Amino acid sequence: MHTDVIQRCWRTLLGVLAGFFGVRSESARERDFKEGRALHFVVIGVVMAVVFVIFVIVLVRWALSITGA
Amino acid sequence: MGTIRTIIFGLSLTLLSLSAHAEWALNLSPGVTEVSRSVYDLHMTIFWICVAIGVVVFGVMFWSIFHHRKSRGAEAHHFHEHTLVEVAWTIVPLGILIAMAVPATATLVKMYDPSEADLDVQITGYQWKWRYTYLDQDLDFFSNLTTPQEQIGNEQAKGEHYLLEVDRHLVLPTDTKIRLLLTANDVIHSWWVPALAVKKDAVPGFINEAWTRIDEPGIYRGQCAELCGKDHGFMPIVVEAVPPEQFQQWLAEVKAEKQAEVAAAEKSWTLDELMTQGEQVYLRACAACHQPTGTGIPPAFPALKGSPVALGDVGTHIDIVLNGSPATAMQAFRDQLSATELAAVITYERNAWGNSTGEAVSPSQIAGILAGNADTAGEGAQ
Ligand code: HEC
Ligand SMILES: [Cu+2]
Repeated sequence: MHTDVIQRCWRTLLGVLAGFFGVRSESARERDFKEGRALHFVVIGVVMAVVFVIFVIVLVRWALSITGA
Repeated sequence: MGTIRTIIFGLSLTLLSLSAHAEWALNLSPGVTEVSRSVYDLHMTIFWICVAIGVVVFGVMFWSIFHHRKSRGAEAHHFHEHTLVEVAWTIVPLGILIAMAVPATATLVKMYDPSEADLDVQITGYQWKWRYTYLDQDLDFFSNLTTPQEQIGNEQAKGEHYLLEVDRHLVLPTDTKIRLLLTANDVIHSWWVPALAVKKDAVPGFINEAWTRIDEPGIYRGQCAELCGKDHGFMPIVVEAVPPEQFQQWLAEVKAEKQAEVAAAEKSWTLDELMTQGEQVYLRACAACHQPTGTGIPPAFPALKGSPVALGDVGTHIDIVLNGSPATAMQAFRDQLSATELAAVITYERNAWGNSTGEAVSPSQIAGILAGNADTAGEGAQ
């Protein structure tokens, strides 16, 4: 039961990341639609968008620090 | 096959001979500053990356079309997806973009760092001229277009620096970090000098920063790069870079000139002298709007020929020229022209084109008003 939840979260996350990247195989897409829940995708999608924004901020800070600005 | 080869050979010859002509140089200028050179290098790097991508993509495409042509019995292969290929064509452009972003970021960071400058110059855009203020140097002047009206109107052959020449250059020292503070008086302008790789908006109410450090003495020309009204194309920029010692010398000279101007206002001028000088000032500073014939372009710019202001009370006339008319294109000229120039141009307007008041406004009278801010009304009309 517990491992099942982890497994499902992981799959949803992979689905979201594939969405960010823009490539997903047809079989994986079908599985997402059969086994996944829309709400899970929305929640993880929003979380990953926030993570992406933070990543960009950190990247810019890092670039500025190494160029000495 | 033979004819195709001839055509290709002919075309490449034409291309080669085109690139041999200097006038055909369409490329960015490498410029005369470290920043301008890195902008140029960046531009060329990205250009060649684009060329390589173009050659590969179109090469594969044309080869495929040719190789798999129908006359050879090729048949279309139907397939739906190919994850590996899709991943490849996403990863490869991403990698290329990152490879370009690295030098681009380095250049931008350099460009945006005006700290530790040795000289500050404020640049203010006006309709349609630039004003340069050397902060800490007590030096301030306007820079006006000098291309004659006859060249603009095609009555004369155009000069070498047509529309890229001004009465007063922005003189700057070489090998010195100069901070440029940009703003505008009326509408948005943009100060653009390609050889320095500086192009910055000048926005009323804001101060934008840029900087430059010029390596080679020389004259570098630029233009306003933001549509700012009727004479947008007639407010060029001329930067004159000179070695630091020569710059100091120039500073001393302009300051002496300014003192001479003050002295000139004290001597007494005849009507004729004022008219001669007034015509020059008028053509340079007023004719763009009020026209050389004084007839203006009504309703936007009123005629001065026969105008009740130019023929009526001299105080009102002086007031509008010194302080402008609020919220119209008529600017305050008190900071733009010297007392003598102001007196001359007002005298000219009262006696030219059939206006014949016979009145002369004396430079000392204007100098008095400028100094004491005395009998001019319209204080708020700056
Ligand atoms: C950018 C355009 C522009 C320039 C340059 C300009 N003017 Fe004007 N001028 C105007 C406008 C617009 C008005 C009308 C203002 C108003 O409606 O209150 C005006 C009005 C005047 C008037 C009042 C005329 C009347 O009959 O009401 C005088 C005098 C005048 N200008 C003199 C000058 C002088 C002298 C110069 C040059 C030193 C000059 N102007 C340069 C736009 C210009
Ligand atoms: Cu402009």
